This record gives sequence, structure tokens and C-alpha cells, in this order.
Amino acid sequence: MEEFITMAHGAGGKQTSQLINGIFKKYFDSPYLTADDAAVLAPPAGAMAMSTDGFIVSPREFPGGNIGKLSICGTVNDLSCMGAKPLYISCACVIEEGFPVEKLDLIVKSMAETAAEAGVHIVSGDTKVAGKGQVDGIFITTTGVGELMPGVSPAGANARPGDRVIVTGDVGRHGTAILLERDDYGMEAHVTSDCAPLWEPVHKVLSTYPGVHVIRDATRGGVGTVLYEIADQSGVGVRLDSSSVPVDPQVAGVCGMLGLDPLYLACEGRLVMFVPEEDAEGVLDILHGCKHTENAADIGTVTEEHSGVVTLITELGTETVLPQPTGELLPRIC
Amino acid sequence: MEENRKSAIDRARDIVENYDGPDIRIMEVCGTHTHEIFRLGIRALLPENIQLISGPGCPVCVTPMSFMDEAVYLAMEKNAVICTFGDLVRVPGSEMSLWQARAKGAQVRTVYSPLDALEIAEKYPDREVVFLAVGFETTTPGACIAVENAAKKEIKNFSLLTANKTMRSAYIQLRTSADAYMYPGHVSTMTGMGVYRELARDYGISGAVTGFTASEILTALATIIVKLGEGKPFAENCYPRVVTEEGSRPSREIVGRVMEPCDAEWRGLGVIPDSGMRLRDEFSGYDARKKFQIPKMTAKGSPGCRCGEILLGEIKPYDCPLYGRACTPEHPVGACMVSGEGTCSAYYKYGSLELIRK
Repeated sequence: MEEFITMAHGAGGKQTSQLINGIFKKYFDSPYLTADDAAVLAPPAGAMAMSTDGFIVSPREFPGGNIGKLSICGTVNDLSCMGAKPLYISCACVIEEGFPVEKLDLIVKSMAETAAEAGVHIVSGDTKVAGKGQVDGIFITTTGVGELMPGVSPAGANARPGDRVIVTGDVGRHGTAILLERDDYGMEAHVTSDCAPLWEPVHKVLSTYPGVHVIRDATRGGVGTVLYEIADQSGVGVRLDSSSVPVDPQVAGVCGMLGLDPLYLACEGRLVMFVPEEDAEGVLDILHGCKHTENAADIGTVTEEHSGVVTLITELGTETVLPQPTGELLPRIC
Repeated sequence: MEENRKSAIDRARDIVENYDGPDIRIMEVCGTHTHEIFRLGIRALLPENIQLISGPGCPVCVTPMSFMDEAVYLAMEKNAVICTFGDLVRVPGSEMSLWQARAKGAQVRTVYSPLDALEIAEKYPDREVVFLAVGFETTTPGACIAVENAAKKEIKNFSLLTANKTMRSAYIQLRTSADAYMYPGHVSTMTGMGVYRELARDYGISGAVTGFTASEILTALATIIVKLGEGKPFAENCYPRVVTEEGSRPSREIVGRVMEPCDAEWRGLGVIPDSGMRLRDEFSGYDARKKFQIPKMTAKGSPGCRCGEILLGEIKPYDCPLYGRACTPEHPVGACMVSGEGTCSAYYKYGSLELIRK
């Protein structure tokens, strides 16, 4: 195998099959992935959920993951938020001419490892090579199909006054890790991305508490943006207790210096759940026993008043509005 | 220690929450204070007879439109590379903002320090690089260091477009707008307490230097309330862990070597004598106004914009007809909406609860 991707790898000839066999097939070992034009799959028993997502993160590698892991987590988590068990994933990679094969190998390996952890099959793939400068390294699009658990229907419009708001771990880590990795600010801190597939905790929670009202993954825009979306979709207010929001001390330090709010920085392995009050403690117990959600916390409540607005109880016990950010905080974080 | 701090903040809070004396107006003149007061929800603690006014302490907000016109002129007509702190890029000029100038091909760079601008000048010796020098006592020394370094290294393609300001004259000008000032923590690290003692002694102006935590802000408010009750002008240091009596002599010295006081226009407030800083004659080669012979700009102004009255605390942002309608953080008309530190931007971001309850 050559050291760098060339236009020939995308031309459909011998080099293309070398690339596919030498890298993609090496790691993607699902029985559904064949040399034919499409995967043939048995339909699931229940209703299906389907989701697609493109990934263009810069830098491609960051502490805690890379674009490959991210591309699987993103789609797995989108399906999971609907209460759908991720079954099959397809992926399309657009690779820049000159991209190091060694790096591609690492990215594809991460995709396979993450898919295995999430229990999902990668059943179909496509590679294209674009000329130098036409893409930045590699862009990946994944599409996933999942099977809805019977009797669950979490949705953004379902939050009700009295619900508890749960976040499945500390906030803002992915965005901070990316920001530090870009090294635009000359800051030294060690923050690992929270990037992780979250079907297992969702499955366990919904198996015991099928009545969870809302599950959403806090990616672009972070937890704060999700809360505003849900407040708007459900026509309710949200009141957070600022002291309960888990934030890693290093994330807090970096954000303090740059004037950013961790509530608005991207996560890639954090869910926000709106749970009926009587279920909240049980849901937290389950989350505390699952990988990736050990530090889940109850951060606030849903109110009937101030519909569409998210407020914070401050350290002084006063209530203020959680301000909404304007403009783009950080581009290309996922 | 934790216990002591707890009781200190509780005592301060008691004084503030239970104040029942005559009406008082306290003006904070630092954008960070404005935002922290909102973020901590401090207004919710105040009885009706204490009014907090957000004064002209955000350097972007007090920068006149004519300054933006000068910067756009340099970028568009003189093909200069404009280096600036981020917020200024979006402040509207008479014709356009620097942001819009950039879309038309002008070179506008955001920098974090004047020294970054000097570096750019060194890197591109065939381009003229102009740094937009705005700000108060905290940022002026950096601009002066950049000029001294440029002179030392004989860098000729670097200059400043100055709009540096000092707060002392503004306190005097605005003294009837408030009963006491919350003096800014950062600026005071440079000036020290002397200027405030002089204001108290010679002008009867009162205030307390204030830090940025909940405890520090409440302590300063409580101190102001108690001291106003005593009836004598005062200058208190409620941020002693950072602000010293003397301040930073080296930073004042470098400013003194490179710049001298001048009259300056403040957006919405007009010209305040001796409130600005300009380059001394020996550094006139680094003064963009002289170097490029910038014509006198008469800014058009935005009809309906009431930034001036807002900066004086005469009206609240939501009393301005443009606020939240024509003027939002995404499309600011007035400078108070542009900067993250601006009064209108703070009200827009945090103020909806206040409005919901109105």
C-alpha cells in the first residue's frame, strides 16, 4: 500500500480495491458488508428510526478521539435519543488527495472499534478522493438505522412542568478539547473529549423508565442550546441550579479565561434528559452504573412560568436568565 | 477562613437587602461589573431605593462613530492593514463597519495585543499596519510599549489610530448622574487609589474600588451604602487583594513617556476635556492621523440611537426605540449593543427575566 492517498485510489481500479481491502475491509468485518452494491438486511420487528450526519471536525485528532470515532458516536447517539437501538450504519468518506494512509488507517480503526462498542454493524461504505485543497483531509458522512424500543417515545415537545433535567456528565469538554488542540490561544491544559457512544445507558434507562419525556444529545451549541430548544418546543421554562451543573475544573478555567460558558460548548457524549420527577432518582442511579454516564447529575427543573426561557439560580440564590450566545462560538467542532 | 468569608458576605448582603434610607444611585463604570451584576442576579437583591446605573466603562461603547470612519478610511483609501481588538470590527461607521469593509476587500485583522500588530508590521514590511488603540488605563500601556518597540527597532510601517481614554475626567463630568461610583477593579490596579482620593477631596466625588466576585461586589455595595449614610465624600478600596494605594508606577511611566493628555470625544457624551491620550510629538511618525493626513470626519450618527442617554443612566436600554428591534447583538446600531461588555448587550442577553416580571 502506498503512503499517501492519490486520485487513483478513487478511480475505481486496482488502487481503489487495495484501499478498500487494505483498510476498510480489514477493520469493518460485518457479515452484512459484501462486495455487492448494497447491503441486504432483515427489517427490524419494530418501527425504524433513521438518521444521517456529516463530520468535518478540525483538527481530525484530539484527546479522547478522532473524526472516525466521532462519526460513529454522532449517528449512534442521534438514534439512541429517539429510543432506537442502533443496528446498521453506512459511511461515506471524502478523502483529500495526499492524505496519509497511516492516518486513514487510524481513523477507520476507530470507527470499527466504536461501532463494536455500540453494537452496531457498518454495512455499507463509499470512498471518494477529492483533489488537493477541495476538502480538508477527510470528511465523513454516516447514516444509521435503528429499531425503536416498544412503548417509548421521547421527543423534544414532551417536557412537562415539574420534570427534572438530567445531564449525563460534565459539560463542554469536547468543545474545550478541540479549542485547546487548535492552539490559537497558547494555553496549556489537558482536557479529553467526552466523545462516546451512549446506547447502553439509554437502553438501560428506557428499559426501566419508558416514560422519560425527552432525550437529546448536546452536540453543537452544547447543553444550553438544547435546553432552549426543548423549552421552545415544549412551551415550558427551564430553571437550572448553577451549582449542580458538572464542569471539569480545567474546562472551567479555560472558559473563564476566554469568556466562554461551558453550557454552550459542544459535547459529543452527553445527553440531556427530561424525566418525570418521581423517576429522576431511579434514572440517576442507572446512569451512575453505566460507562460514560458515571457523573450524571440533576441540574434543574421544568417550570410553567417563563415559557421559552432558561434561567439559572445563582450562587446568591437569585434567578437570572441564562444568556443565549450570538454568532458562532467555534466553527468545525464536529 | 471559609466561615469568616461566609459571614462577611452575609453581613454585606444584609446591609444591601435591608437598606431603607433615602434613594441612592450607584454607577458602575466597568463592563465586566455590568455583566457580573447581571450574571449573579444582584439587582434582584436590591430594594427599590437603590438604583444601579451602567456608566461609560466599556471602551468600545464610548468610541465615537467618527473614529470608525477614520479606520474605514485607512482600510479602504490608504490600503492599510487594520489590526484591532475583536469587538470594534462590528461597530457601525457612517458608511460601513470594518466588518463590511473586510467583505469589500480591506485587510482587517483581529489581534489580542498591540504587540501582535507590531509583529504583523515586521512580517509585512511593504504594508502599512495600523493598530486601533482604544481602551482605558489598562490597555494604553500596551499600545505605548508597541510604539517604543517600533521606534527602537526602527519599524516605519506601523502606527496607532488613538482613541485611548482616561476615566478621571469622566468621573467629574458625570458626577451629577450618580451618588457614588463602583470604581473599576482592573483600571485601578494601574491608577492606584490616589486619583479617587483627589476626586473625593477636590470634587466631593465618592466611590469604592470593586472586585468581581459575588462577595466583592456585595461588599462594595454595602460599603457605599454605609459611607453615603455618613455624609462625607469617600474613596474606599474594596478590592485590596489586587489594587494597591500606589498602583502600577511602571505602567504610568511608560504611558507618560509616549503619550500626553488631550480632549477626547466620547460617544454619546461629547467632548470631555483632558479625557483622552494622544502620542507625543516625538512619536508623531507613529500617529496614523498625522502620517496619513486623515481628513476631519463628521460622522452622520444613527437616527434614534440613544446610546448617550443609556451611558449616562438617564434611560434604560429598553426605553430606546431601537433596542431589540432595529438594534440587536446580531445587527447592532449603537455601540452599547456591539461589545460583549456593553450595557444594551447585557440587558439583551440577561434582561428578559426583568421584562417578564415587569
